[in-house]
Amino acid sequence: MMTTVFVTGMGLVTPLRPFASVDMFWNALCSGEDAIRRMAPPMLDMEREWLMGGISTGDGVRAENKFCLIAEGALEMAIKDSGLEERASAGISVGTVLGNVLLKEKRLQVNGRNGIRQGSERESLSYITSHLAGKYGLKGPQFTVSTACASGTDAIGIAARTITDGRADVMVAGGVDVLSDFALIGFHALQALTGEKVRPFDKNRSGLALGEGAAFLVLESERHAVSRKARLYGRIRGYASRADANHLTGPHKEGRGLSDAIRAALSQARLSPHEVGYINAHGTGTIYNDLMETIAIKNVFRRTAYDIPISSTKSMLGHSFGAAGAIETICCLLSIRDNIVPPTINLVERDPECDLDYVPKIARHAIVKQAVSLSAGFGGQNAAIVVGEA
Amino acid sequence: MNLVITGRCKLTGSSVDECMDRLHGRIKPMRLLHTLERLVIAAIGGALDDAGIPLPVGTSAIGLYLGIDRAIEDIKDKYFLNILHEGMLGASPMLFPYTSPNALAAQASIAFDMRGESITMPINNSYMDVIRYSTFCVAGGYTEMAVAGGITMNCEALSLHEGRYRAEFFFIRGMRSVAERGAKIYHHIKAGRDEEYRFD
Repeated sequence: MMTTVFVTGMGLVTPLRPFASVDMFWNALCSGEDAIRRMAPPMLDMEREWLMGGISTGDGVRAENKFCLIAEGALEMAIKDSGLEERASAGISVGTVLGNVLLKEKRLQVNGRNGIRQGSERESLSYITSHLAGKYGLKGPQFTVSTACASGTDAIGIAARTITDGRADVMVAGGVDVLSDFALIGFHALQALTGEKVRPFDKNRSGLALGEGAAFLVLESERHAVSRKARLYGRIRGYASRADANHLTGPHKEGRGLSDAIRAALSQARLSPHEVGYINAHGTGTIYNDLMETIAIKNVFRRTAYDIPISSTKSMLGHSFGAAGAIETICCLLSIRDNIVPPTINLVERDPECDLDYVPKIARHAIVKQAVSLSAGFGGQNAAIVVGEA
Repeated sequence: MNLVITGRCKLTGSSVDECMDRLHGRIKPMRLLHTLERLVIAAIGGALDDAGIPLPVGTSAIGLYLGIDRAIEDIKDKYFLNILHEGMLGASPMLFPYTSPNALAAQASIAFDMRGESITMPINNSYMDVIRYSTFCVAGGYTEMAVAGGITMNCEALSLHEGRYRAEFFFIRGMRSVAERGAKIYHHIKAGRDEEYRFD
């Protein structure tokens, strides 16, 4: 028996107004606030700084504890927001790329030069899922998803399917990742990091900035949400994942996988392209991603592509890996709630090849009844999720 | 919807070469840096072959669902130790992409040109949850067919080449499509009263 999946709670911790409310985050985002600053790497002394969207957790918190702290902050916020009291049968689905990698960094710093010692259970990627499930009494189905930068979107999609197929009535789903020397130096080696501003879709875009964060949504079956008179933010209408099957680090130049994912998600949502009111793009600010994404959107939406407002919230937050898809799905739901589309900041000079409506610099009022969030990542991962009004 | 397993393959690192030889000429030529990559590609290829799927696949009809335990941690440790030893110059742009758990599934999707769903799930001890999820995806119509399985520790004392890890994959599809083709069936996966799929 297929059922509608409603979103009844949302919580997030991002570099913009961290640990404040979802509404404070949203107001700052729609004001075009830039959370990206020059920062030193979290643990290693590299004698230089990079542009990053970082979250300060105060002097008393050790770096390796940040991962759990922001995940718990976002999840608690989402559960509180949903007003869900009985959650023993609820499940959890978490997307993460590197997990608590700072714990690994610390262990290897202390022990590494004398040989690798056994890592602790807390280093494993599935640890955060069992930790959150145990701490918040979520005894339903558990999933940990690691599909590179599409992890958060896939985690939500998998949770929605779990409800749709009748395997759970309530799922808490989202993603979390933190800044690490590990990823910072890796992306530096790949020459993917910008040295000035994150400028998605701009002619002079020069790369991405890393970010960190956590975001969770409470998903409920229609029967469950209606019976407890829950507040409804919207519904998950469609989700699809597709592989490029092309290259380990670079996207398919024609956006084949992303186009397929968007088409499949729209088909599942039974929506025509003209019914989509907003697209939250993956929009990292790299030459190849932004061009590929533009081509993929044009492939699917054809002439309608030029009429749909598209924005990259990573221009303000940086790229938070496993959390990104979840944060951006929340942005889509808030766009539907408030009929506001957040801007793409730092977009000054239009790239002739990226010629869609990217809502430059200033947020815009627009009627949004359905929105699509796009994610793409290493390994040719692509995911699209369609959300709609309740 | 009743599902069936029509292909399977179980390998350790020590038996990869023979399986890779059988796939020669039918997968995309690519540089495979790690024994783990070869292990995963050989095991998935073995399951696809066993199910009679022509290679390369070239469509989005087959979803790939991979469970992985600590295997990826060896690569992550090596990558970060290089940085600790040599500073930023020690960061290998070749090794870095492999620190993401989905890299193995990605290489398999490239090798076999599989353009469908690709989901990697970190697991603790068993990849049964991954297989169970893949069965729901086939039954729910999210993918037509699935190749699902995982990599788990075989024996920690062994090197990668000797068989430190083992990979096991199954090919899963709907019963009706198999009956029409008269293909062999290893296992029936039936929906129980609680809608859980059972391996009986």
